[in-house]
Amino acid sequence: MDEDLISKKELLDLTGISYGQLYRWKRKQLIPENWFIRKSTFTGQETFFPKERMLGRIQHILSKKDDLSLDELAGKLSDMTSVHKQLLTLEEVRERNIVSPITLERYGQRDRNEDKYSFDQLVHLVAVDLLLGKGELSLEEADLLHRTLSVNLPQFEGKRWELFFARKMGVSFFLQALAPSELVFDEGVRLISRITLEDLTEQLQGKLG
Amino acid sequence: MDKGGSADLLIAGIGGAAGGTYNHVSLEGVSRINGPVTAMTFTGNGRMRLGGSLTVEQIETNGDLKIGGGLRIGTMKHDGLLKVDGGLLGESFTLNGVADIKGDCELEKFTAEGVVTIGGFLSAGCVELVLQGQAKVKELGVESLVIRKGESGVWNKLAGGIIPKLRAELQARVIEGDFLDLEFTTAEVVRGAVIIIGEGCSIGRVEYRDRLTVHPGASVGMEEKTGE
Repeated sequence: MDEDLISKKELLDLTGISYGQLYRWKRKQLIPENWFIRKSTFTGQETFFPKERMLGRIQHILSKKDDLSLDELAGKLSDMTSVHKQLLTLEEVRERNIVSPITLERYGQRDRNEDKYSFDQLVHLVAVDLLLGKGELSLEEADLLHRTLSVNLPQFEGKRWELFFARKMGVSFFLQALAPSELVFDEGVRLISRITLEDLTEQLQGKLG
Repeated sequence: MDKGGSADLLIAGIGGAAGGTYNHVSLEGVSRINGPVTAMTFTGNGRMRLGGSLTVEQIETNGDLKIGGGLRIGTMKHDGLLKVDGGLLGESFTLNGVADIKGDCELEKFTAEGVVTIGGFLSAGCVELVLQGQAKVKELGVESLVIRKGESGVWNKLAGGIIPKLRAELQARVIEGDFLDLEFTTAEVVRGAVIIIGEGCSIGRVEYRDRLTVHPGASVGMEEKTGE
């Protein structure tokens, strides 16, 4: 599955930001280098961005930039240590509406240690919730996903990873790989979803405020 | 960064060092440092050869400076020759002379008079460039960019007709920015909000959002207004 891309020109027209702002944010590392995707078009080389992630990030920056300096904002985006330690109780997760009640009921009980969730566990819940919410996952598959993530947690701890969810001939499977990774599947495989730890972390951070 | 406990490196005459972390580095004369250097302040005169990268908060140099790795600066003032094999990252850079940077450049403020060659992408807040010869930048993405032609003597003008290297002009593939004021620039594409195409420019395609002014002595292949 190719992520939807947006050209630089379209992005600027759509969001109303200027070239200067875009490059400034890149210099301040508010926008990751690897989101700048170069492709040749008939007018020469053009830069494209992953549409959803880029629009989300720009909204995020625009909404916060009046309160915070760009450096502070960059720190917030990249500094995940504060969140990593954060532990929430079941009630807090429910109250803040971090994941849907169904997800919480089904998977919330399993990996609670001392009545609190670790950041990784929350990320797993968000991942399951995200895919379930999109209607791309059956509940059995969600079980499998949650188990996969939990089992592999020690292996990926502190590393950046990506999750691939693919289907072939009605059989679904998950792949968890270190990011950034380029996977190539055979023709029969349909890649249904691809999510990165950063996306999940960003979502979760947004909800945690 | 607490560099208060670090020692100083002083070289006068002919000397060398291995590299390392210093509070202050002073190089006078002919010096060679083999490894990477990190310092709070750096002053240099003469011929300086650094084998590795250089990370420095404040640096002022005159002469011939070569850096084998990347250059990371707070503020830098350099007169003379500068060659950087890696990229340049920093806040403010003032150059008077000739700079050749192989990698990408990221600066908030870049003021230069002379000849600049950047092999990668120049991303900057504010760029002011006074041309004294043939400047080359692969791509530019800026907030504001002002290009001017420097005052050149009659001999330089004559020689510029024969030796292309001496002709004052800027060559770039793509220039993008909010405010672009160009002179003697050759580019394939120029995109921005307010664009002034001055004397001696040759631009393949201009895409502007708010305002475009073209000097009669400039050539523009195609004009397009965007963002409506």
